Amino acid sequence: MKKTLIHLTTSPYTGLACKEGLDLALVLGTFEQQVDICLSDAAIALLFVNQDPSSEHGKQLHKLLDGLEFYDINNVFIENNKLTNKTEIWPNTHALSKEEWHSLFSKYEHVFRF
Amino acid sequence: MHYALLITGSPYQSKACHSALRFLKAALSNPNYSLEGVFFYQDAVLIGNKMAQPPRDELDLTAAWQSLAKEHQLPLYLCIAASVRRGIIDDKESQRYELTESSLADGFQLEGLGTLVELINTTHKVIQFR
Repeated sequence: MKKTLIHLTTSPYTGLACKEGLDLALVLGTFEQQVDICLSDAAIALLFVNQDPSSEHGKQLHKLLDGLEFYDINNVFIENNKLTNKTEIWPNTHALSKEEWHSLFSKYEHVFRF
Repeated sequence: MHYALLITGSPYQSKACHSALRFLKAALSNPNYSLEGVFFYQDAVLIGNKMAQPPRDELDLTAAWQSLAKEHQLPLYLCIAASVRRGIIDDKESQRYELTESSLADGFQLEGLGTLVELINTTHKVIQFR
């Protein structure tokens, strides 16, 4: 079976890209495809706990993370050095070393960026 | 080699739709390649808005896609959820939302993301333009 990586790079609050990337991940999961998610750049904000956006800010996407396991999406990756220790993030995030992060993208038949 | 294209960049804020069109023309001229379909997602679905009227001295990008698709019998899919939220509505959705108009251009069709999953599974490569 083909493996797909959804790479989120944009903030959950500056546009729809992050949401529509997550939507694609959920649909791939629904169709029993192997799909993982990785986050970099402004998309890392999605992982921060205690978010309370208003409707003007955008949809509360952080809550979706807890539902990923129901779509058999069990791998959510970030690069290890992209966070400060003070930042509390979604606990099921897998932090990768720089080397692991760079080799991540060649493990998938498809990588889609949002 | 069987290809499909995933286009996510806006026709107005990026050159994704333009670049994909050029890629497609090159690929279709090579008998070793076949294109199974093009899936437009995110702001790229705006390509299917029949109400848009580009200035006469600029490329009519929607018409260019329509022409190429017709010539090669190539399916052009627009993500239905992404389209409806951006006002790209076919007759069926127009009825469903009790609207008086539809805005989907000829040659395009609204499909769910499941169609993209099918393209992923039935082609050798899916190329994203963003």
